[in-house]
Amino acid sequence: MSAASAAVAPAPSRLRLGPLVLIAPAAILLAVFLVIPYLNILLMSFRAPGQGTPYGEGFTIANYLRFFSDGFYIRQVANTLWIGFLCTAICLVVGFPVAWQLARGSPRFRAIGYGLVLSPLLVGIVIRSYGWTILLGNNGLINRTLTNIGLIEGPLPLMYNALGIVIALVHVFLPFMILPLMAAIQGVDPSLETAARSLGASRLTAFRRVTLPLCMPGIQAGCILVFVLSLSAYVTPSLIGGLRVKTMAVTVVDALIDTFQWPWGSALALILSVTGALIVVLFARLTRMKWKVART
Amino acid sequence: MRSRVLAAYCILIYLFLAAPIIIVVGASFNAGNFLTFPPQGLSLRWYVVFFHNDVFMRAIRTSLWVAAVTTCVSLVVGTMAALFYVQHAGRWKETVRVAMLAPLLLPEVLTAIALLFFVYAIGIGTRSMFGMVVGHVLMTLPFVFINVAASLESFDPDWDMAARSLGAGRWTRFRRIMLPLIKPGVIGGALFAFIISFDLFTISFLLKGIGTSTLPIQLFDYLRTNFTPEAAAVSTLSVLLTLGVVIVSDKVLGLKLHRF
Repeated sequence: MSAASAAVAPAPSRLRLGPLVLIAPAAILLAVFLVIPYLNILLMSFRAPGQGTPYGEGFTIANYLRFFSDGFYIRQVANTLWIGFLCTAICLVVGFPVAWQLARGSPRFRAIGYGLVLSPLLVGIVIRSYGWTILLGNNGLINRTLTNIGLIEGPLPLMYNALGIVIALVHVFLPFMILPLMAAIQGVDPSLETAARSLGASRLTAFRRVTLPLCMPGIQAGCILVFVLSLSAYVTPSLIGGLRVKTMAVTVVDALIDTFQWPWGSALALILSVTGALIVVLFARLTRMKWKVART
Repeated sequence: MRSRVLAAYCILIYLFLAAPIIIVVGASFNAGNFLTFPPQGLSLRWYVVFFHNDVFMRAIRTSLWVAAVTTCVSLVVGTMAALFYVQHAGRWKETVRVAMLAPLLLPEVLTAIALLFFVYAIGIGTRSMFGMVVGHVLMTLPFVFINVAASLESFDPDWDMAARSLGAGRWTRFRRIMLPLIKPGVIGGALFAFIISFDLFTISFLLKGIGTSTLPIQLFDYLRTNFTPEAAAVSTLSVLLTLGVVIVSDKVLGLKLHRF
């Protein structure tokens, strides 16, 4: 048996040709429909705008110049990044105790809680955003109730502004924060905390110096996920923000669908994505540095 | 005491997570002409309106069709890739993993736009559903891959060896030995693929052709101009459809989802 398995087992580091058939469909799919389109969109962002056509002849950097010379779009990117940052921070603060309870609570509570955190993901994003419009609108449930009780005179501005977008986005992305946090907390041995406590650390110090640094990979993963998702979210900002507040993703999609400015839309989409990616890299660097400091 | 406070807080958050869904379901039974919560009397009238609305009925059919095709393609391609990843990738393992997860790591909006330009560049355009289905396959592939790879990792190669020593061929071994053992992961992956495809928005929004709107797109278009509870009825049915798929996979096929 051992001789046979030695003969059949694939060499660990050498790639054999036969099994490549298995990866071929996925590789072709990703190369043709992901890599090439991404190269194409990069090219598109340098094309000249067209007259009556999606794009014109020749190449130019005018699309990028247009972005950087127009304060309106720079402010819009800044706004989008700010909304993404708020969502991430709120998800982290709000989600951490829930993740803690899921990781350390009683098993029975854990199973139910896990289901409750996951189940909103089964409901489409249009439907969930729609639910928030019913809740947050000027004639919505919250405003109606508060007016009926007599707490407020007129409706509170909950929709068509950044506040509404952040509330709804936090709701949509909270599970994506809780799940990696939960996994990270589960990986931390509670006896480490007990050890810190027995050495005289206060509850807070033990948490801050021992547990939190060990959870850092989960915090990183959750934050990056929520930040990236909130930057490219379209449905929620579009339904909640209306025409009043537009995030970058909404502007980009509208530029493509309503006005067919392909090169301009490509440049905008790429600027937003690259900015987002740079922030993610910066964040990963910074948090890793902190983690090292905390260890010493 | 402290744990009580924590538990109470968690229940509050669970309520927050469930709130908009409960509101939508509640609003769908509204008897009035406009969306209000609590409803002005209970009625199923908006379901009747919805079932007579061809636009929504066609959108549901389109959604189910796209999700079914996507699930089949994604399942085959993703399972093959997972087999390669676990058994043959060797030192390329990490590269394969990152590549397979790439559609998840890239912003969906950017992928959708890139794909839109590409289908026009190669002359297909959005007349057929080809572009949309390809987009759906891209977005669901990582989930099939994660689930199948996770169950393959726990597959004991000795079973395969035993079958081989008894003279079973490659295909028989896959069908009779491996597939039954990794079935939970395969079904989990298929379920993820179906649900994600059914609810996928941005890809469908940009790559839809004329008359090929999926349900989320149709609902979104409707919501931009209308405020009747019909949209709530549509949403509730959509939630029920998803729930039905989950329950059927759980009861009939013996589902076991892998956490990721």
